This record gives sequence, C-alpha cells and structure tokens, in this order.
Amino acid sequence: MSQNKITRRDLIKVFGASAVAATGLFGMSAKAYAKGANHVVIIGGGVGGSVCAKYLRFADADVKITMIEQNPEYITCLRSNDVMVGYHTLDELTFNYNTMREKYGINVMIDQVTGVDYDRKTVSTKNGEKVQYDRLVVSPGVDFRFQDYEGLSKELSDTKIPHAYKAGPQTLLLQKQLESIPQGGTAIICPPQNPFRCPPGPYERASLFAEWMQKHNPRGKVLICDPKDRFTKDGPFKKGWERLYGYGTDNSMIEWISGSQGGRVVGVDAKNMTIETDGDDHKGDLINIIPNQQAGKIAQIIGLTNHSGWCPIDRHTMESTLHKDVWVLGDSSIADAMPKSGYAAGSQAKVAAQAIADSLHGRSPGKAIYSNVCYSLAGENYGVSIAAIYEVRDGLIKPKGKSAGVSPITDKPAQPILEAVYQKNWQREFVKDVFS
Amino acid sequence: MKLKSLMVAFGMMAMALVANAEPKQATGQAMSWQCAPCHGINGQEFNEAMPPLAGMKKDEFVKAMIAFREGTRAAIIMDRVARGFNDAEIEAMAVWFEKQPAIQWENMTYVPTAGGKYEPK
Repeated sequence: MSQNKITRRDLIKVFGASAVAATGLFGMSAKAYAKGANHVVIIGGGVGGSVCAKYLRFADADVKITMIEQNPEYITCLRSNDVMVGYHTLDELTFNYNTMREKYGINVMIDQVTGVDYDRKTVSTKNGEKVQYDRLVVSPGVDFRFQDYEGLSKELSDTKIPHAYKAGPQTLLLQKQLESIPQGGTAIICPPQNPFRCPPGPYERASLFAEWMQKHNPRGKVLICDPKDRFTKDGPFKKGWERLYGYGTDNSMIEWISGSQGGRVVGVDAKNMTIETDGDDHKGDLINIIPNQQAGKIAQIIGLTNHSGWCPIDRHTMESTLHKDVWVLGDSSIADAMPKSGYAAGSQAKVAAQAIADSLHGRSPGKAIYSNVCYSLAGENYGVSIAAIYEVRDGLIKPKGKSAGVSPITDKPAQPILEAVYQKNWQREFVKDVFS
Repeated sequence: MKLKSLMVAFGMMAMALVANAEPKQATGQAMSWQCAPCHGINGQEFNEAMPPLAGMKKDEFVKAMIAFREGTRAAIIMDRVARGFNDAEIEAMAVWFEKQPAIQWENMTYVPTAGGKYEPK
C-alpha cells in the first residue's frame, strides 16, 4: 500500500475536515488507502455498527470505513440490569472507540446524522459534514413509543418513571428507586408489546429485583403487568421463580399479570404513582414502564421504515429493500424469527459485512447463516438461556435444523448453575467481540 | 440455427441457471464468525469456561459437534447450537478453526502493510 500516496486534502475530501482533525486520523496507523478505495459509512456505533465495522475490516483490508456515532462512549444495555442490584457498575459496561480506531483503522466520527441523500450518496451531519459513501450501514437501535401510554413522556421517563431500557442515567435512577422502596413496598415492571429489544430483559429485571429484595426488603414484591400471555424463556424463568422466589404461592415475591388477565398498562398517574391497566389500577413505589418500540429515530427520518415502524431488509444480506446500497442491522430491522438482541445484531452485522465486501468485489454472497445465543439470570447463580441458528427459508429468517431451544427444565442443579457461569463468560466474550 | 446463435442461447440458459441457483453454502469463515461471542474472536479465547476453538484439530471439532448434535455428549447449550448444522457445514468450520493460531486474540496485532492481516505481536 505504501506506493499509494494520499494527501491531507484527499483525506479531508473523504472524511470531512473536522473528522480528520478530531480523530487524529494521521496518527492512527500507517494505513493509507488507495485512490478510489471504496468507502463504507456506518451510522451508529452500538453492537451492530461496531461489529460490522470490525468484521468488514476482516473481510476487506483495503476498504475505507467511517462510523458516525453521537456519543464518545457506549454503555452496553447488556448486563445493565446487574447495575441496579450491584452486580456490575456502569463503568464496567462503558466502552470507548479507541480500539476501533487504532487496531482496525476505523474512522470514528462523534457527530449526529441529520439526513441522507440517496441520489448523491452523501450523509449530512449536525456539525455540517457531508460524507460520501459507496455503501451505507444503518444500525440505530430502537425508539420508544411514549405516546402509547396516557400520561407518559420522555421527560417523565428521565425523572420519575424511568424505562432504563437504554443503559445510562436512567439505569442509575431506577437503582436509586429500588433502594428507596419502603419495607414491604411494591416495584411494578411493565414490559412492552412485541416486538421489542431484549425480549428477556424485563423478566430478568423482575428476577434480580426479587433477589435484591430477599436481602434488603424481604416483604417487598415485584408486580409484572404484561400486555402478553407468553414471554421468551417463560418456562425456565417461571421454574426459576418457583425455586427461588416462591412463585405460584401466596407468599411469592413475583406476581405476573398476563395480557388476558388485564395486565396491559394504558396510562400512568405519576403524582399518585398509579398505573391504569386493562384490569385493575395498581399503586407502586417504583414504576418501570418499558414502552412499546419502533426502529431508531434516524431510520424513520431517512425513510428506511415501512408501515410497521421497522425496516424491511433482504433476508440474505440485510440490505434495505427500500434503498439500494444501504444496509440495516440489529433492532431496527425486520428479521422475522430472530429476536432484537445484541447477539442477533452482531450476527447480522457479520453477515452484512461479508455481503458488503462481496458486493464491492462483484462476488455473490454465500448462504446467510445467523445465530442468537442469549443468557439471562433468574438469580445471580441461576442462568436460563435460549439458542438458535437461523437460515433463510421460504423467504423468511427461520431456525435452522432443530436448533431453536430454551434451557431444559431438569431436577439437576448443575444446569442453571453452569448456565450462570456461562452467562458471565458470554458477557465478557460478547463485549470483546464488539469492542476489542 | 447457426452454431454461433446456439452457443449464445446455451450461454444465456447457463446464466439463467446460475441466477436461479440456491446460494452456495456459507464459507467456513462466515459460519465460524458466528461462534465468536462465546468462544472468542476467531475462537482465540484461552482463559474462559467455554473452550477455545482456534487451532483445534479438525477431527476433534467434527466429533464434538456431531456428538452434541446427536445428543450423545452431555451439554448445557451446545446441543441446541449443533442441531443447526449439517455435516458439510461442520466440516467447513472445522477446517477453518484448525488454521487459526492458538494465540489469545489480544496478543494479535493488525499489520496494515500485509494486506490487513492479523499476526502475533
């Protein structure tokens, strides 16, 4: 590559002046790009965006990669439930983009995307940059539908009724609220309607709250008001609740009201700390409404969503079916049987990275194989998991072979104990796959 | 029909067949990448409960995966994962993992001048 001289001016043309200045691109590595090298721009530096950037580097050593992310650091939603009960600190879940820049030669711009011109193939940003792309990747996570609940708003979620479903200040707010529940008080958790990010998240949260209460508030109670009649891993979760928290007895620390029992929350009175549901009103000392969701805001703004509020994609590659040379990854995409999980986003990002590299070099991609492996805790030492390999069949992403399954319910204590060990292994390894 | 136009016709048919063909099997690399969130990048994690896959002998990998898939080896989660792969796919992953260096990933470095390869530090 050394024969391909590039000038500062060339770089500025590609990346924009402030990006070059802000990222210290010249000191990054000896990496120099050939004139006319392809440029892939990635919007969003979460799991999908970061994994895509890194694996695209594995798939194509010579492509220029720019990732545009609003925040200089990323806090993983993964394990943020732990923070509320003291098993992790928020700092331990916080990652920066130094490795991305230094080890993988990714140009990371801290900026906010404001629009995309698909004809000119340019991305505009809040700081006034116009970044040219050959291929665009959009991985913006989810946006919350506060409007589905009377009395709820973004402001209220920041102050009194946190969702804590994006890790950050709301995680710490909910932790404080849990600690402030008076003895014998009630925490109410309201999971969203399908589809939503991290399907086991609300139920793991309920589990860990109950475990925390066993130690600090033994007469306390967790009430789950759910719009649904089933939830992911509900078999092994409920078995764990029976074993650990007396679920199903009069003294259970967890009560779950399903959708057909009137569990759907329709409004909140924050002043009186009361929720209104299809059934009874419930008073709580902590109210955690996790709102219904749709594709991340930028995906809506730049026209990648359809009537469902999510982004349709070509199942073989993750390329948008609405705009050419644009890929959509992770929570925002319509991926059929795949859950909206970090693991799924990373899995899709790897398929997309290969497909993008193939498309830039005129190769046809191989069959897409996706995966999802997700561990949750029903207690600190009680893990439950779900795993599946996926393929495209009959035009949809479906489990491959007989791979899809949740933890078996057995009398052997080893299963949940080992799953809790693996859960911790998986968390450490997962974040390495994204950020190391 | 002239020979030339026959050849053109056959050529077009062949192209149509290719266009309609099932995509080829995913590469060993593409499938193996899916294992990274538990077993480390390229299977190069040597300090965890989940075993490293980088440098594993091909036959050992194949034997383990088939045993997990057929339920003849006790498993916590790998039985559910292995049931997603057929023999040819397991073979392709085994070939790929055998070639990966048995070195902890953090001890690898990016070499921009060598076509973007990762090498031991």
